[in-house]
Order: sequence, then structure tokens, then C-alpha cells
Amino acid sequence: MMADTNPVPSTVSGDFEPRIVAFLCNWCSYAGADLAGISRIQYPPSIRVVRVPCSGRVDPFYILKALQQGADGVLVSGCHPGDCHYLTGNYVARRRFAVLHDLLGFFGIEPGRVSFSWVSAAEGERFAEVVREVTERVRALGPSNRLADARLTEKAERAG
Amino acid sequence: MPRPTAVEQQLRARARELLEKREVAGVLGFRAGTLPGTCVPFLATEPGDADRLVLNRDCAANLAAWLPRLRHRGRIAVVARGPDSRSIVNLVKENQVERDRLHIIGVADPDDTQPVRNPVVFDEFLGERAPDSPPDDYADIREFEALPPAERWQALLDELSRCIRCYACRQVCPNCYCPTCFVDASRPAWVGRTPDPSDNVLFHMVRAIHMAGRCVECGACAKACPIGIPLMIINRKVSLIVRDRFGSVPGTDPDAPLPLTAFDSEDREEFIR
Amino acid sequence: MKPRIIPGKELNGFIKGLMERAELYAPKERDTSPFPANPASDENPPALDAAEHSAGTPPVNGNREVSQFFRDTTEFRHITDPAQVNLDHLNTKLPLKELFLPRREVMFTFDTDTPERVEPVEAVAAERIVLGARPCDAAALEMFDRVFLDEATPDPYYRARREKTTIIGLACNEPGPACFCTAVGGSPHGSAALDLLLVDSGDRYLARPMTAKGEALVAHLPEATAPDIEKAAGLEQEARAAMKFTSDTAALQEKLKAGFDHKAWDEIALPCVNCGVCTYVCPTCHCFDVTDEESHGRGARIRTWDSCQFSLFTRHASGHNPRPTGRDRLRNRMMHKFRYFPAVHGTVLCVGCGRCIVECPSGIDLRETLTTLQEELE
Repeated sequence: MMADTNPVPSTVSGDFEPRIVAFLCNWCSYAGADLAGISRIQYPPSIRVVRVPCSGRVDPFYILKALQQGADGVLVSGCHPGDCHYLTGNYVARRRFAVLHDLLGFFGIEPGRVSFSWVSAAEGERFAEVVREVTERVRALGPSNRLADARLTEKAERAG
Repeated sequence: MPRPTAVEQQLRARARELLEKREVAGVLGFRAGTLPGTCVPFLATEPGDADRLVLNRDCAANLAAWLPRLRHRGRIAVVARGPDSRSIVNLVKENQVERDRLHIIGVADPDDTQPVRNPVVFDEFLGERAPDSPPDDYADIREFEALPPAERWQALLDELSRCIRCYACRQVCPNCYCPTCFVDASRPAWVGRTPDPSDNVLFHMVRAIHMAGRCVECGACAKACPIGIPLMIINRKVSLIVRDRFGSVPGTDPDAPLPLTAFDSEDREEFIR
Repeated sequence: MKPRIIPGKELNGFIKGLMERAELYAPKERDTSPFPANPASDENPPALDAAEHSAGTPPVNGNREVSQFFRDTTEFRHITDPAQVNLDHLNTKLPLKELFLPRREVMFTFDTDTPERVEPVEAVAAERIVLGARPCDAAALEMFDRVFLDEATPDPYYRARREKTTIIGLACNEPGPACFCTAVGGSPHGSAALDLLLVDSGDRYLARPMTAKGEALVAHLPEATAPDIEKAAGLEQEARAAMKFTSDTAALQEKLKAGFDHKAWDEIALPCVNCGVCTYVCPTCHCFDVTDEESHGRGARIRTWDSCQFSLFTRHASGHNPRPTGRDRLRNRMMHKFRYFPAVHGTVLCVGCGRCIVECPSGIDLRETLTTLQEELE
């Protein structure tokens, strides 16, 4: 993860730059991000990448925890269905994400906060596009305040 | 002491017989509590204990939660209503209890608010079958979902902020048998120990997710909550998700895999880009 | 100190007076639930569909009939309007202890870059008055005092709150079905740890001051007459007589010394699920944990309630747990209350409020447990 210890949450203003935690599977989406990089494709510097072995490794808890700890959005990306390095990891993950997605909506958490995508190792341009799209969606929503830990804000205020 | 009902009489006679013949090490059921409207989970181990067994709509616990803990006692007979039996089905699938070491005494659930009152699996059935409940339309969930998102969030936050983290909901739940719960993990400490609203929400959301495809809506958690948080509104939403998306009603089909450990390549993925 | 009366049970003026003096805390109903109205409410006529009956808010706990005594008021809360005070209840769901030992207390904060420098949170408390404490809840504070105001290591946070708080009790005339204060040395009209005790005697309150602080609150009121005092004594006798349960706690303490490995514990513990309900609703349970919370470079050392019913309570860093089973943990709770605490402090750690009985998800009754132990242990 990129070094970012700024405790002050981004505030609503014209230049709000969302902070998005991206869980990328090692075999497809991380390679896709790599390809975007070496192809010099431009996309917003809003994501903090966490490389995971498979989208099936992403516990819904990680996503909620990221939001609690001040992420404005979360992106989870894995191999296209049928292409999982471990054959079925992304299929199982898909069911889990479906439950999380619907439950987040039920709790009244904006649907755009958490995004899921399939990006292959060959899809550098698509990866950039996903990041652009997710960033714009989160930017439009503004800083995350529903799941975010109020104690962080308190601490930030104390720290000045 | 109220007069025993017909099914209670049958249950006591049968429990006495099983214990006299030493067919089981104990009969797990309920005895009357000391306060009106209470029942206490009870393991009858001697024939003389059989007459203490009761069965009524105040029996709030899901007895399946006791089965993993009683495994070392040998073969156990368990009084199973609809929800208890559904949880047993799940626990067998999850390898927490061995089906052939259980003797399941099926009874209809005296609580007529249960969506599934008759046991799904049993070795013998006592009393009369309850009429089938009409299909659940989840009207309570739909009503809540009709509120604007901000109101839903505020409502759930208000409720969950009251949680004192006594973990009664978790401890009475047959689904919660993890040796170390994620909230108790300390390296790393995923969830703060304090009843901070944000940690409370995290705990209850993740708990709900862990219930997906497993919760049988027995309501034991909500009844156990000392401060009356309406936990079933969350659990029933999860059940609705699982039913709508995966066509699964937990614990009703002993042969079907648990929905969250299985998949269909054609699962709907309208939320994935 | 002379007992006084509040004629006509006119508490409004009295409460206003209290609010002018200090922050007032009293049992207060929680704000209306934001959840969809009960299916049977006016806006929503009773549903015909049976499935709808499973909807809506579930019963407060498994204990349908008894919980009505506890349902109305959850906690002692800060009162901003006299109308919020609700004394028409037996006991609050959560005890008074939170006002003295909060669920979460920050002791100091720090920056993770400079962990050697901490910013302590000063132990200061506002002047407070508590109205409507039941004698059992107040008596528990005397037990807390033994722990937290120990001469060698007094707890500064607890001490600050305790010193700044005036406690006005409300005597019990009609004990509930789970009450047993008389069996553990208490009284429904007990005055332990109180500054003032109110006795509801029909058309008036008898206000009996115990301390100068309490007397100052009622000095302006008319003095009680001999019949007033006599009537209150009669009410106390009636209330005492309503509680049948007795237990020889001194004999039990002796029996528990030899009864650590008795098989009775297995049967007692079977229904127990080892949740923390009994300990968290208990006015005398005071165990706490101290942890560091840290994120984004800021840290805080916090004290929180803890429960001996949790496996984590005794789990060592190595993973070893000296109380590995639920039975061990339930036994510890009983031992602490009826053997260890009396051995150290000379009093059982229980005031007989009955909350653990009412709220136990498994319907375990502490009185029954005590009786079983008395009978089975030698």
C-alpha cells in the first residue's frame, strides 16, 4: 500500500480526491494494472492497491474494514468468470460479493462506494477505465461518512 | 405447574424409555424456568429427569447450538422443532455434529410465528404436524427497504449503537461455533473491543454476512439480546438475499450444498463491471 | 437528619431544582424506535397474512412476561427536561454502574511516532445528581468503592465521578419476581451509598436524607410527621415480606472452598452459553480490560468493560487458557461473587437486583444456582 499516513480525511471541496482501496487478484487484475502502467495509460492516482492471490481471498470484512478506516471507496477486481487461476475462486467470491453488495444497499450505504470488476492481465486500458469510472463515482459521492469511524475524525481534530 | 400438553406427555414417556433402555446418553430439551415465560435448555440423563421436560412457545433457544458442545457425551436425543432441525441439517453439513450420533425427536414448533414449524429431519415424530405456514413474503424487510437510504442507515446505526457487545446473539447461535470469533482475534485486532458505534456496525454486518445461507431465522439471537436490538431485520434481509439470488432456504434440504460454498456459473452479476 | 416530605408527589419542581444544581441523570425511556411501526399500530392495521406476524420487532428478550418490568427504561440518561424522568418502573435494564465505570474510557492518547510521550486524560467529573437509583444499584457502589477506592491504588476516574455525584434513591415497595436483595444483606428501602432516599407512600414522597449533601436538597421541604415515618416502615416490611428467597451466604462461602471440582457445576453450566449478559447487566460486576486502539498514527489507551464469561478474559498470549470451558468460566463468576470477594472484602458481590435472572438468554436463575450449590456441596 502507498504510504499515506495523513489522518485528516479529505473534505468536501472542489479538489476532493477520493482514496480508494483496490483489492486486485495477483493473476489478472494486478497484471492488468501493471500493463496499464507500463503502457503509460493515464488514470487517477486515487487507488491504493492491495495485491491478493485471488478475488476469492477477499473477505467482505476487508472491504468493510477499509471503509471504516477512512477509505472513501473500495474496488475489488479479479479474473473474468471461467479464467480463475484457481478455477473457481472468483465464482465463489461472486456469491459473497453479491450478499455484501445487497446488504450494503440495505444498510443505506451508497451503492457506488464498493465496486467489483473483472479485469484480465491483457486489459490494461480496461483497468484504467475501471479506475477512472470508480474514481468519478466516488468523487461524486463525496467523502465516506457512513461506515467511517468517528473516532478517526476526533483524533484528526485533536491532531489539528 | 400447568398440566402437561399431549405432546409433552408423549415426549416425557419417550424420553424416559430412551433413557431407561440406555439408547441415548441424554435427551436434550427444555425444562421450565423459574420465572413465568421462561424455559431453560436441559439435558435429561436419568429416567427420572424425563418428567421435567416441557415444550411451549417460550422455549426461546435453538437447541442445535448445544449439540457441538455435547458431542463428547455420546449419543444424544434432541427435541427438534422446525428451526432446531434446520440448524441440525446445517451443522451436519458443516461437520460439527454427526448425524448418526443423534436421535432426533421431531415436534411441531409451538411458536406459530415461525416460518418453518415442522422439523425437516427427524428419527421419530411426536404429536401433530403444524399447518404449513404460508410462503414468507418478507413484508417487514420490504417495508424497511422502502425507506430512503439515509433513513435506513440512521435507523440501523441507532439500533446497533445500543449494542453492549455482550455477544449473547453470537453465543446462542448454532452457526457460531468458531474457536476464535473475528471480533475476538487480537493479532490483528480486526474489531475494537469497545462498543463504539462504528465497531458495533462492523460486528453486526460481518456477523450477518457469516449467517448468509446458514441462518434459519429461529430468532434466538433477537430474543437473547438484553437490550432488544431488532437483529432479525438484518438476518431476514440476508435470508431474503440468499433466497432471491441463489434460490436457497437454509437447512431445508439435507442434500443441497451450503449456498455460499457453492456457485453457479450463471449466477447473476449485474453489480459487477 | 430530619426526614422531609414532597407533598402531592409533586416531583416536577423538585426535579427542576435538582437540574439547577447539577447535571441530572435519571431513568429515561429511549427515544422512539425508528423502525417501521408495529404491524398492529394504528397506521398499519393488523395484517391478515400469517407470515407478517413473524415481522416487526421481536419480544424484548426470551422472557415475555417478566420483561415488562424492565422494558420501559433502558438506562440512566442525562435529563434535559423534567418530563423525561421516568420513575414508574422496577429497574433499569442496565445498572447505575455505567455512570461510574463507563463502557469505554480513554485514559491517555499518544502519537505513534512519539510513543514515549502520552497525553493523559485528566480525571475530572462534572457535578452530578442521580435520581431514582434503586437501593440495590446504590449498594453495589459500596462494593465498587472497595475495589476502586482502595487506599493503596485508588482509581482517579472513578473517584472523581463518585465524589462529584449525589445519589437520590427510590425505595422499592413492590419487588419484582426476580428480586432477592434481602437474601444478600440488602433491603428494598436500603440506604447504602445513598445521599437521599425517596419512599413513595401513596400521596407523597418521604425524603430521608443520609448525608449533608442529601439534606441540602430537601432542607426547604416540610418535615415528615410520625405517621409518615411509620407508614414508610410498614411499606418496607411489606416489601421485605414479598421476597421469599433466602440463602445462607456464609455457609455457602465455606462450602464453595471445598466445592471447586464438584460435579454440580456441570449441571449448572449446561444451559449457560457464556455470553456476557449477566456480567454486563450486573451492578456489581466490575471487571475491565485495558487495550490500545491505534489508527492513522494516533493511539489511545482505553478501559472497557470485560466479562469473565468470555474465553478471551483469561486467554494468555501463548494461547493457553486456564479457564478453557464454559463451566470453568461460570464457576469463576459464582466463586468471585460468593467466595473470593467475601474472603477479601467481607461481603458477597451481589445485591440481588435480579437482572441476570431476567436477562439470561437461557433462563438461568441465580437463586436456583445458589440453592443447588447449597444442597449439593458438602
